[in-house]
This record gives sequence, C-alpha cells and structure tokens, in this order.
Amino acid sequence: MNAYLGVDIGSISTKGVIIDENNNILAEKYLWTEGNPINAVRNLLDGLKLQLNDDIKVKAVGTTGSARKLVGAILNAQVVKNEITAHAIGTLSLYPDVRTILEIGGQDSKIIILDDGIVADYAMNTLCAAGTGSFLSSQAKRLGVEVEEFGVHALKSKNPTKIAARCTVFAESDLVHKAQIGHKKEDIIAGLCKAVASNYLNNVGKGKKIKAPIVFQGGVSKNIGVTKAFEEAIGEQVIVDKYGHLMGGLGIAIFAKNQGREGEFDFNIKDMVFETKGQECDKCPNNCEIISVYRNGVLIDFWGNRCDNGALI
Amino acid sequence: MKAKIRVGIPRGLLYYKHKVLWTNFIKELGADPIISPETNKEILNNGIKHSIDEGCLSSKIYMGHVDWLRNRVDYVFVPRVASYSKNDQTCVRLFALPDIVENTFYGIKLLKYNLDIQNGKTEKVEFLKLGLKLNKNIFTVISAYKKAKIRQLEYEKGQEARQIKLLENVGKLKILIASHSYNTYDKLIGFPVKHYLEKLNTEVIYADRVSKNNAIKASCKISKSLYWSHNQEILGAVELYKDKIDGIILLTTFPCGPDSLVNDLCIRKIKNIPIAYILIDELQGEAGMHTRLESFVDIISARKGVTRCR
Repeated sequence: MNAYLGVDIGSISTKGVIIDENNNILAEKYLWTEGNPINAVRNLLDGLKLQLNDDIKVKAVGTTGSARKLVGAILNAQVVKNEITAHAIGTLSLYPDVRTILEIGGQDSKIIILDDGIVADYAMNTLCAAGTGSFLSSQAKRLGVEVEEFGVHALKSKNPTKIAARCTVFAESDLVHKAQIGHKKEDIIAGLCKAVASNYLNNVGKGKKIKAPIVFQGGVSKNIGVTKAFEEAIGEQVIVDKYGHLMGGLGIAIFAKNQGREGEFDFNIKDMVFETKGQECDKCPNNCEIISVYRNGVLIDFWGNRCDNGALI
Repeated sequence: MKAKIRVGIPRGLLYYKHKVLWTNFIKELGADPIISPETNKEILNNGIKHSIDEGCLSSKIYMGHVDWLRNRVDYVFVPRVASYSKNDQTCVRLFALPDIVENTFYGIKLLKYNLDIQNGKTEKVEFLKLGLKLNKNIFTVISAYKKAKIRQLEYEKGQEARQIKLLENVGKLKILIASHSYNTYDKLIGFPVKHYLEKLNTEVIYADRVSKNNAIKASCKISKSLYWSHNQEILGAVELYKDKIDGIILLTTFPCGPDSLVNDLCIRKIKNIPIAYILIDELQGEAGMHTRLESFVDIISARKGVTRCR
C-alpha cells in the first residue's frame, strides 16, 4: 500500500504522521525536539515504523516547521514547506468549512483566516515570543507546576488574577508580585491563560474578523485554560481537535501526496550517521554562517551563504 | 594637477533617495564623490558600536558607513533633512544626523546642508552655500545644482516609467515593498527580502518609484493628519498601487517610531489586500523572514487561484 510521510519539526516538539491515499492517519508520533532535531527525527521514525504493517511503502516525504530544511535534507524530502501553509492544509482536510485557525506553538503564534477553503489572510507574531508556549512553560517552572497541568489548575479558579502579559519580562515581575501579595496559585495560572488569549487577540489577531467555526491548535491548544479564555473573549465555541498537535505534519503529508513527485523512502535512514557543521565563510566581511549536512561523512546539502562565494558544492 | 577633494557619501538613510542629486552635484563642482560599499556585517557591527542602543537598525547601519568613510576621505557628506514643505517633517534622527555624527566621531570633517522648509531653509540656497565650500565660483555652483537636480528628476521619472511597465505584466504575482528606500535597497535589510521574493517567482514593486506629488496627494485619502514626509510617500504609493498589486509587505527596521504608527494605520485602513508586516532587527536570522514570505506568497497564490489548499 502507498503511504506518505509528513514531519513537522518545531522548536519544542517534533511530530510525524503517515497517511494513506485517502488521508487516513496510519501512524502518528509526537515527541520533544530537545534541541536536537536530527535525533528527534531518528526517534520519530523508530516510533512510526512500529505502528506500520510491512506492506506499506512510503512514496513521498514532506517536512515543515522551523527545522524543515535540515530534516528535509536528511529525509530527502520531496516537499519542504512553511508551517502556515501546512497547518491550513491539515486543518482543512478535517474541517473543510473552518473559517479561523488560531495557532500557538512553542515560539510562534499565528492566525489564519479562511474563506471558502482558501487562505484569505494570516498574521504571525513578530520578533517577540511573548504569549507563546515557551512563555507559559517558563512561568510554569517559576510556579513549580508542570505546564501540562496548567489547564486543570486554571479551571479551578473562580477569580483569575489580572496579569500584564504583553511582555514576558513584565509578566514575570507582575506574577511574582501577585504571588507575594497573596493571590492563589490557581488564580494566577488562570490569569496567565487569560493573558495569553488576550495578548494573542490584541497582537496577532489585531484587526482580523474572527468567524466561527474556529479551530485552535498548536501545543498551547492542549491547555484547556487558554481554550476557555479564548471562548470567553471571542464569544464563540472554539474547537480543539484531538489531532490538533499533528495538523502541520498531516498537512505536509497531504501536500507531499498531492505534489506528484515520488521518491524511494527507506526507514533505514535512521541508522545512517548525520552530522551538521557550522562554519564562518571568511570570504568577505559578511562572514555568513554556513551550515553543511553530511550523511555518512558525505556532504549532502548546505545553506546560509548569501552569495556563490560561499557555495560548498 | 591638484588632487581632487574626496567627498565621502555614506550608503545609508537618504542616500538612496537623493543619490543622483548628491553625486552629480559633487562631481560638477570638481570634487570626487566616494560612496561607501554595500552594507555588510562588518559595517553593521561598527555601526552598532558607534550608536546608542535606542537607535533604529537603519541609523546604526548609517553610522557604520560613516565609520568606513571617515579615514578614507577629506569630508563626509552628512546633510540635515528636516522638512520638504510647510506641512511635513522627517524623522527626528534625520533632524539630528549631522550632530549625531559630529558628536560620535570626534574631529570628523563634514559637508552638510540644512533642508528645512518649515524654517525657511530651501534646497537651492542651502546647496549654494554648500557648493561654495568646494568651489569659489558661484556660477559653477549654480549650474552644478541645476544640472544635478535635472538628472535626479530624470532618474526618478525613468524609475517610475519602468515600474509602470512592470505593473502591466499580468503573468506574475506583484508584491509591493512598502518601506523607506534606505531599507528597501540595503544589502542586509531589503535585499534578502527582494531576493527571496524573486526566487518565489513574484514581481517586486517598489513604493518609492512613484511620483512624489501624486503619492502625497493620495496619502490624504488614508490620513489627512499624517506629517512624516517619507511615510506620506509610502502610504501614498500603497493607495496609488493597491488595485494593481496582489500583496503588500511592510518592511520596517526595529525600532522605527514613525513606521510603528503608520504601519498600524495601513493595516487598519487598507482592506481586501493581504499585508505582511516584517520587522527586521540586528539579531535576526533569515529563517523567520523566509517562513513569513513563503507563506505570504502561498496565501496570495491561493487567493488568485494559482494553487488551492484543498
């Protein structure tokens, strides 16, 4: 049977999905990137292979997420695409009539507005990662709570504390202050979730018309406190799919399936030795940082050079 | 033969806007204009070293160019451009430019003019005063200014005419880079954006290649009370081009005060055309920029029916 692999390698987590010709998910895996995308992909492929029957042949591979280029080179992917497009495709395959996609990931947050199945508008956070997953996990650490349990704590609160979450630095001092003057932990957590939602709507969602059906995804969508805060702020139901964290992987797998080109993919790739090397070019004052990728000691790809002087192949 | 006076022009800020006028004027006076090289990381790092933290990336780059020139030329050309008419003002950093440079590089020899219509400083008089420092013959100076001014206007007209032709091209997606010319054409700021957009097979349209007067008039349709001269022109170009293009990229260097307000105004007022807001600072890698541009072009393609998501 023919199958298609989509890999979404984010800053925090790595997601893999294998689908059949009809976009049914045959295998899926979710794990932490832990700052080592190559290793994460290796573990990911291990996990995916265990879920598959022997007669399944992967015909095309797509990669997305912030490490898409590196992992694309390693997996010899047919498609390397940005995560915004991938998310839109993935979500549309499950919710064909979705109008708004809210997404909060580890470092990014985005909004995608769709009109009749076509992406009509989008916005992404600028430089700052305030109000994203990494913000929540650093605050969780400070409060001594696992970030996965944030939502449960938040739901217990009857009187969420007001927290200024425009900036992580300010939020942190505000949070410490509120804790010191006696606010309850669950109130602070609920306040943080609220702040994430309002921060998102005021920054990324600025000026956008948010219409139902609304799908909320990305790692932070697993936090029911934030989902509740969104529902209160928008006044509409917010859908969180059980595959919400896999949408990017699913989308890029569908994209790989539809783009037409096929290539042999072998799970043995996980046994090969991949190495990356970063070096400064030194050939002009720009000193571009060139990253090169080696498979079993052979250079397979490189990037980062601004001009041909820095070309390694 | 006496060696020509070497006048260094930093390749930054208003250079891109007035380069034909400046270089030709200096040439006509018998001096030798030396333009600093395209921005590279070394120039950027030296600029950061010689700037206050709060300055915008573009002004930091400018300081890097001054630094590159200062030991290579007799004078560095650093004008003060404060207002072009009674109703506008430039950014405060441009107001203060000669003062900032003189107080940063002790003992540097500057050539400057002071264009400030609000305070009665006209371009012509100021150029004559400047010219007399390089050439004692007033008639040579007057004719140098006239010749340089005509060339500048011809150059601007040519740029506009070429762009109008590009706008008629129906085959490709057309994306407007709405930004200050010192960002759009800088090798480190705008060039990677332009280069990547061209790689994605789009036609890049520039906000500054449009008649200045028309642009300022058009900007009144969006806001009557806006007084930043360069932002008026950019906003006007957006208004003039909005029916002929497929998307707008607002390219801003961090932390630009006027842009932060005007870009927001633009996003709120301009409807039915996708806008991407790209903010560039000195620490940024290119990955985030590529993600934003690629997805932006994907969206526009989908709107145009080139590719569908489903």
